[in-house]
Amino acid sequence: MIDRRIFRLPGITKMLIVLAGLVLLQAFSILFQGVFLSRTLTDLWNREAETRILWPVLLFAGFFALRQILVMLKNRVMQPWADQTVFDLRQQLLQKLVAIGPSIVAKQGTGKVVTMALDGMNQVNTYLMLVVIKIFDMMIIPTVLLVYLFFLRWQEALFLLVIFPVIILFMIILGYAARDKANREFASYTQLSNNFVDALRGLPTLKQLGLSEAYADNIYAVSEDHRKRVMGTLTIAILSTFALDFFTTLSIAVVAVFLGLGLVAGHIALFPALTILILAPEYFLPIRNFANDYHATLNGKNALTAVLEVLNTPVPTDRNLLTDQQATWTSESQLRLEHVNFGYDKPDETALTDISFTANGYQKIGIIGPSGSGKSTLINLLGGFLTPNNQDAGRISINGVTVPHLSQQAWQRQFLYIPQAPYLFHATLADNIKFYTPDADDAAVSQAIASAGLTDWVATLPEGLQTEIGEGARGVSGGQAQRIALARAFLDQSRRILLFDEPTAHLDIETEVGLKETIKPVFANHLVFFATHRLHWLNEMDYLLVIEHGRVVEQGTPDALAKQNGAYTALRREMGGDAL
Amino acid sequence: MNGFFDTFKHDSWVMPYLRKYRFLLVLVLLLGFLTTFTGSALMFTSGYLISRAAQHPFNIMLIYATIVLVRAFGIARPSFKYAERLTSHNWVLRIVSDFRKKLYQSVERDAVAIRQRHQTGDILGLLAEDIAHIENLYLRTVFPLIVGWLLYLFVVIALGTFSWPFAALMALLLGVIVILMPLVSVALNGAREFHQKKTQQRLYTSMTDAVLGVSDWMISGREKDFMDHQTGPLTDMRDLQTADNKFQWWRDLVVQLMIGVIAVVMIYWAGSYFQTSHLALNWIAAFVLAIFPATDAFASIPQGVSEWPVYQDSIKRVNQLDQNIVAPVAQTHLAAEDFESLTIDHVDFKYADGQQAVLSDIDWTINRGDKVALLGPSGTGKSTLLKLMLGDEQPTQGTVKLNGITIDKLQEDRGKLFGVLDQQPYLFNTTIINNVRLGNLSATDDQVKAAIKAVELEQLVEKLPNGYNTLVEEAGARFSGGERQRFALARILLQDAPIIILDEPTVSLDPITEHELLNTIFDLLKDKTIIWVTHHLEGITHVDSVRFLEHGQFEMIGKPHELYQTSDRFRSLYDLDKGR
Repeated sequence: MIDRRIFRLPGITKMLIVLAGLVLLQAFSILFQGVFLSRTLTDLWNREAETRILWPVLLFAGFFALRQILVMLKNRVMQPWADQTVFDLRQQLLQKLVAIGPSIVAKQGTGKVVTMALDGMNQVNTYLMLVVIKIFDMMIIPTVLLVYLFFLRWQEALFLLVIFPVIILFMIILGYAARDKANREFASYTQLSNNFVDALRGLPTLKQLGLSEAYADNIYAVSEDHRKRVMGTLTIAILSTFALDFFTTLSIAVVAVFLGLGLVAGHIALFPALTILILAPEYFLPIRNFANDYHATLNGKNALTAVLEVLNTPVPTDRNLLTDQQATWTSESQLRLEHVNFGYDKPDETALTDISFTANGYQKIGIIGPSGSGKSTLINLLGGFLTPNNQDAGRISINGVTVPHLSQQAWQRQFLYIPQAPYLFHATLADNIKFYTPDADDAAVSQAIASAGLTDWVATLPEGLQTEIGEGARGVSGGQAQRIALARAFLDQSRRILLFDEPTAHLDIETEVGLKETIKPVFANHLVFFATHRLHWLNEMDYLLVIEHGRVVEQGTPDALAKQNGAYTALRREMGGDAL
Repeated sequence: MNGFFDTFKHDSWVMPYLRKYRFLLVLVLLLGFLTTFTGSALMFTSGYLISRAAQHPFNIMLIYATIVLVRAFGIARPSFKYAERLTSHNWVLRIVSDFRKKLYQSVERDAVAIRQRHQTGDILGLLAEDIAHIENLYLRTVFPLIVGWLLYLFVVIALGTFSWPFAALMALLLGVIVILMPLVSVALNGAREFHQKKTQQRLYTSMTDAVLGVSDWMISGREKDFMDHQTGPLTDMRDLQTADNKFQWWRDLVVQLMIGVIAVVMIYWAGSYFQTSHLALNWIAAFVLAIFPATDAFASIPQGVSEWPVYQDSIKRVNQLDQNIVAPVAQTHLAAEDFESLTIDHVDFKYADGQQAVLSDIDWTINRGDKVALLGPSGTGKSTLLKLMLGDEQPTQGTVKLNGITIDKLQEDRGKLFGVLDQQPYLFNTTIINNVRLGNLSATDDQVKAAIKAVELEQLVEKLPNGYNTLVEEAGARFSGGERQRFALARILLQDAPIIILDEPTVSLDPITEHELLNTIFDLLKDKTIIWVTHHLEGITHVDSVRFLEHGQFEMIGKPHELYQTSDRFRSLYDLDKGR
């Protein structure tokens, strides 16, 4: 019923003590509110003087107000804690993201991470608010009322005590009966709403196939069919709420009739009878509130699970084994990989196996292979976005210093990473270019823009370098995005390593030609790793790693490999296709 | 209030459905009313029963009718509530079916326009969310509000039969809850809602920047900036939420205190009004106790109404969909086997909001059986030219005709005339066999399997655990890019249209996959007319003629092997593609 993980959140103990105090106070307000209302009504019934009822009315009103004020106070105690907890969780999530890097995003899916951080966290907030308060209400308020009722008249109190577990039992039984079916329905519901979005997204395709108009009826039919099934399930699924409602309402009716009969027989006076009648609904109120919000809190519970799972992902440790001096890349530097293995989640399957090579100084190293062979995985490993497994078998060293993985902060300050679609931040063009060197001056930025071949394009922008680009702002074509990434490289002269991952794969040939002319000058005085399947780039490389099925099957200079007539020549032949 | 009526001025999403399902609607409202009514009646009769019983009537039969009523109301309330929940869900689900169809049709009508205005598929998700909002409008605002008002009317009239001045006083006091507070809420909340939306948007962009740009943040070493970047919107969001919650607590407190005031007023009125006789005294408790269950129905109204701004936005957005309906063009028909030629005659094109012409004076005739390739840098109007051929756009000047019939008159037949394979063919979330069958719904299983065999996927599919009945999963995620294209190709084979448009189908594939796919395409479609837009020169030998589009005009036209001899530009691009 209660989520134990909540008790592990920071700051909870103190808050729970305060909350328990407030709920206890509220329980007594409810009690006295009922007692004084009953007193008032009894006095009126006894035709007491108006002055006589003034005090009971005032006390009733006072306790009623106190009770309502306590509701607010409880919220005021809980909300800052819940807000702060969510704020902290969001921050921790972000810290986790930047510590682990893109692999966690790739694993969870971009959309899911953003949703988790935004809507998911809002749901957690609601969950924390509702679940803690309602559970405290349910534990304390009925207890206090029941103890008083026992003093008043034990018969009705006993009935109320016995009926409580009966209600819960019935709810559980009916709940279980309905749950499986409801779960299945829920799955079908998600599938249906996905299907609907599916149809909307696939509309261009439906239109191409000439099916788009006829499909509207299909959507309606599927939706109606779903409605009928849902109604079938719902009839059972809300039975548990019905049972709760039925038993609590009927219990009040039964108590009323008991009391009526007791009164007729003269076993009880009007005042205690009215008090019991007034307090009976209050006795059931907390459990009804809890049941009402139960389903609303499920989303929050799932969101909390999702975020805690991410927060529990281990972060690579030992990220500072290298000093900046040791990591600094010069024409004399050396990176060695020996027998390095890497696997994603499945331990028996490696994505990269027995990778060994040495990179020296400002070499230009091309990484080629068929798609799915592990080119991008290798680039990610070199960037430290992925960490190799069974470190004992493999060895990585930078300038002679052995490190367990390349997620070294000093190493990461040595390179720039340029993927197929470089990410552009929602910021000005200037800030995007200065991303790695926030302190660069305007002259340097202009120079970088000129080197990246962006000057003409920038001139066409309404606000020049101050134009906002990125998500939700001005669109930038794929070629221009690559040039912006290159401008970053031109601007940051301290980073001497470039990791390219298929930078031109999706561009048309003429854009690619233009871009190539811009990229080539950057190669000078840099160690370059260039994963590609475009053959012409290989002419710019002086060393090649040929990868197949996660293994380096051949390595050497292009000329040497061309003479070997092995994997490289076979791959080139296959990639070359027909000739004119 | 102006805004309220404006929203419904051109409404075709809310009001029509209230009318369409009015009988069910009346039933929902009636059941909602009866639920609260019987709840109150239970306490009313119980209060009377106990008071009357306390007078020790000499015959139990005198209170027997009351006992029966107490039991009846005790059973009726939960039953009505159960029925009310079922009918309201049924009602909303019916509307959902209608909404889905209507939304689909709106989007279908201007699929092209929508894609132009919003590049991503986000708008579709957004619209699906709007529908969910309108569902909630009914469940959370409309139903409780109307039920609340009905009850309000009932209470005031019922009290009016006893005393008009008192009824007027209660009308005023209850009016604060059911009329004044909702208006105040919506007025105050409107501004906050606006603010909250902006902050949410800011948070969304900064989160997206954080998630998608995570590798840049990681290697830039700007972890501190990263956190600072996020803290601003996060803090704003937290503060805004706190402010919103505080408002809600205060409002709820005021509502509850108002209920307290009403209770006290009721005590004094009933106390003095029912002093007339010994028996009349018993009504005091009845009237006072009946207040509390009744006010439950009123208390939820302000919150429901304050959510109005959210719903208003959604209603406006979906209603906007209906505003750009283009007058339909009278359709004529052309049988697939009669297709002779596609003629583009002196076509100029510019977008409604654009200054520059995208295409100027294009002339092109494509005859049955021709295989042509269209090349050019991105942004030169290749896709626009394809849209003109398909009739998705209309030329500013000149005509596009099929066998002399303008293309806009053949829109109903386009599925029969054109087969399109674009960059990202959509696979629907259903089985493989159903996906392929979309090409021709009357195809037999054997025909579908033959098509799958023709595109060389037979082995792959038969190896899957569920074979042809395997679900393709979200947008075909379980298959590679090349495999997805082959499934789409199988669809086109079944479609058997005479003109095939290939819109850069290989753009995201590696050279080996690309080479093989192109061989399959041109082999299987050798009898068709093929118009192929391509981003580079791989596979160019498959076509008879190549055209380069640049600056809105054809810059180069010729046979591939001739161009290789005569054009330096063509030769250098071709050699680059071959890695020479």
